[in-house]
Amino acid sequence: MSKKKKQIEAEAMASVEIIHPAENPKLRLLNVSYVYSKGTPFEMKALDSVSLDIHPGKLTGIIGHTGSGKSTMVQLFNGLTTPTSGKVLLDGEDIWAKPKEIGKIRFRVGLVMQYPEYQLFEETVSEDIAFGPKNMGLPREEVLERVAESARFVGLPPDIMDMSPFDLSGGQKRRVAIAGIMAMRPEVLVLDEPAAGLDPQGRRAIFSGIKQYNRQTGCTVIIVSHSMEDMAEFCDDVVVMAHSKVLMAGSRDEIFAHADKLEAVGLDIPQITRLALMLVKEGLTFPESLYTVNYAAAAFKDAFGLKEGGDV
Amino acid sequence: MKGFALGQYYPADSVMHRLDPRMKVIMAVAYIVASFLCKNFYTFVLLLLSAVFLVLASRIPLKIVFRSIRALIFIMAFTAVLNIFWFVEKDAEPLLQWRFITIYTGGLYNALFILIRIVAMVIGTSIFLTYTTSPIALTDAIERLLHPLAKIKVPVHEFAMMMTIALRFIPTIVEETDKIMSAQKARGADFTTGSLMKRAKALIPVIIPLFASAFRRAGELATAMECRCYHGGEGKTKLRILKYHVRDFLALFCILLFIAGIVVINILGAKFGWLYTM
Amino acid sequence: MPLIDIKHLSYAYREENGEPVPVLKDISLSIEKGEYVVILGHNGSGKSTLAKLLNMVVDDYEFAEGEINVEGINVLSEDITEEDVLNLRKTVGMVFQNPDNQLVATIVEEDVAFGPENLGIPNPELRERVDNALATVGMTEYAHHEPHRLSGGQKQRVAIAGIIAMMPRVMIFDESTAMLDPIGRREVIDTLEMLNREKGITVLSITHYMDEAARADRVIVLDDGKVLLDGTPAEVFSHGDMLRAAGLELPQCTALCYELMAAGLELKGPFNTPEQCAKALAKAWREKEGC
Repeated sequence: MSKKKKQIEAEAMASVEIIHPAENPKLRLLNVSYVYSKGTPFEMKALDSVSLDIHPGKLTGIIGHTGSGKSTMVQLFNGLTTPTSGKVLLDGEDIWAKPKEIGKIRFRVGLVMQYPEYQLFEETVSEDIAFGPKNMGLPREEVLERVAESARFVGLPPDIMDMSPFDLSGGQKRRVAIAGIMAMRPEVLVLDEPAAGLDPQGRRAIFSGIKQYNRQTGCTVIIVSHSMEDMAEFCDDVVVMAHSKVLMAGSRDEIFAHADKLEAVGLDIPQITRLALMLVKEGLTFPESLYTVNYAAAAFKDAFGLKEGGDV
Repeated sequence: MKGFALGQYYPADSVMHRLDPRMKVIMAVAYIVASFLCKNFYTFVLLLLSAVFLVLASRIPLKIVFRSIRALIFIMAFTAVLNIFWFVEKDAEPLLQWRFITIYTGGLYNALFILIRIVAMVIGTSIFLTYTTSPIALTDAIERLLHPLAKIKVPVHEFAMMMTIALRFIPTIVEETDKIMSAQKARGADFTTGSLMKRAKALIPVIIPLFASAFRRAGELATAMECRCYHGGEGKTKLRILKYHVRDFLALFCILLFIAGIVVINILGAKFGWLYTM
Repeated sequence: MPLIDIKHLSYAYREENGEPVPVLKDISLSIEKGEYVVILGHNGSGKSTLAKLLNMVVDDYEFAEGEINVEGINVLSEDITEEDVLNLRKTVGMVFQNPDNQLVATIVEEDVAFGPENLGIPNPELRERVDNALATVGMTEYAHHEPHRLSGGQKQRVAIAGIIAMMPRVMIFDESTAMLDPIGRREVIDTLEMLNREKGITVLSITHYMDEAARADRVIVLDDGKVLLDGTPAEVFSHGDMLRAAGLELPQCTALCYELMAAGLELKGPFNTPEQCAKALAKAWREKEGC
């Protein structure tokens, strides 16, 4: 650990209480605030002194309403926006220490924005995926290798690699855009609403692709979404945003144990969790918080004394 | 880009804001004509006073008015300099002579007149047309004023519809440009360093998606408009009712009086040889 | 007579290389006045094309076969007049997916007026219609706002008001909630259900959200251009395997109940909503505890 790093750490731990602290956070927000259009009548606080750790290697979900500050937060992670105050630390180092080199940070923290299919522009799918790696100045062979690898992760068939991205279906375009970020092999992959507007099959394909990527590469992944059910099924950690602050953060079990709190801020808890809450009032008891159909089915079978492994 | 406002419309409650937009278009044209009719010193004084009056009557903060004049400062300086140096007054003593530069008193006055004329025209048109009239009201007014031309197959309605749609979509597209630029920055695109050529090239990843999206939007909008029974201007009614009020005719009377005043001063000036006739 | 009557409808569009690509294959269905119908299907199942045909806004009719009758207007007939088309669009209003791409004017109330203006409705009736439509969707206070400053749900409500002002008998929502956040979605769903219940407007909602389907009177599932299932939500949801095969998913609670039944638990439906499922499970629980 460098001296400077240590100093920052010390400073941080001394003065700020971090939500969901990690020993070696991949990303850490230290007292970060962000104000839009400062000094104009449109001034608005998007983030209000947020201190938060993102655990390395985990798949973290960020949920909250539109305007809760979650989209601002992801743009702070890769330096697309500069915090009005506070620090963003990547591996313990301030990403704005050398503002001129913020471009390098963007390669280390890859961001897939909302509806990313609208940013495709190249003549072929493979060239579009190669745009990021090329900007990194990588040699041609390495670029090609990464393009092929990330296409595999998102499940793009080889025969479409030479097609124009504009001729693909909506779901395929989305995958091309995600592959374009994965091909930069970022240490952190951030996705803002990666499944917005897709049908159930498309959603599932995108989410399981991302989970697989997370498990195989060990890359830290952050997903922003409104869909509590997807979050419950795919994430390790969950961060709940409300009114420009972090309401709660923790492992998925910890968060869904407070389903009532989520409901109180008007967030949609998974249907199955709502069902469980209703039944608890009827006198049923469950060993843990229920948030996916599989868990719930097992728990209910247990409660009703049905045999495990019955027909599905 | 948040808080981006289209045009320079400045919402306020003033006589100017309340005038009928059609009348304001007519008055703006009349005001420009008036500024060209000015021929001598007194008329320009009158013109300058009228411009000051317009600003006061519209309740637009001076700071904002100056901003629009500042945009033209280069052109104004250029014309002024041209007039000062190139003006040749026959049979008159030059005010100053140095090498090839000769300056006459008439030249100075000329430059001053032109400056006043430009300032008055900028203030006149911006007060009448942009600061006190919303772009949509302006489009509406122009469509109605030009309506008779539709009879000789001038596509007045289509033009107005285009303007309306452009006004509606400019903020959307500005926002989208912002988003696409961020997205490409996240992929390592660099828009700020390098030669001009390099920077122009860096914009390709922004322009192509922007065009693709504009075409998509246009297609979807066209379908939505068809579904809402759009079939051109024929038989189309209007929600907004425009009615001339007494104040509109009073305003018209004022501007006519103003023009008449300028003409009279011009004639008197020519007769008695008043100062510096252009 | 049904309000919309579709008989043996097939449709294909022409690819760039000239080959026709079938989208709808021999569809027959009818929709009665006052129904609230949800059409489900994954992307590319043909559901949007069906909606567009009902409003005659597809690009070409070369490969359109069969019959579509809407209130006596024969949509696919050769000699349909321009007046018929306008009448059709007046009868069947459409709300689309992207809230940004269907608002025309720079002021909310002028956008709402766009449809009736095109129909040649004069003032003061025009003014009345606009005000009523805005009140119906609860956007009166935004009448003088600029659409681009509104939230997604609010924009979509303005778009709905723009259709209501044309006083249609049927409203089609073509994935109108797909791009909205949960709050916006709820706003739009509440509005469309209110239109159906209180204003008697027949609603046809195209979606892939199963929880929206659970609230309808009737659910039609399209798959590969054909009608796969057609019935009440409970009937449709009882075919979980078929839905999964069609790229759809049962609502979580419904899936759970069916899984428990398959494992031998006796439950009495319906299982459309979490409330219904809770009721059924609670009853089973009490019976079990009782014995």
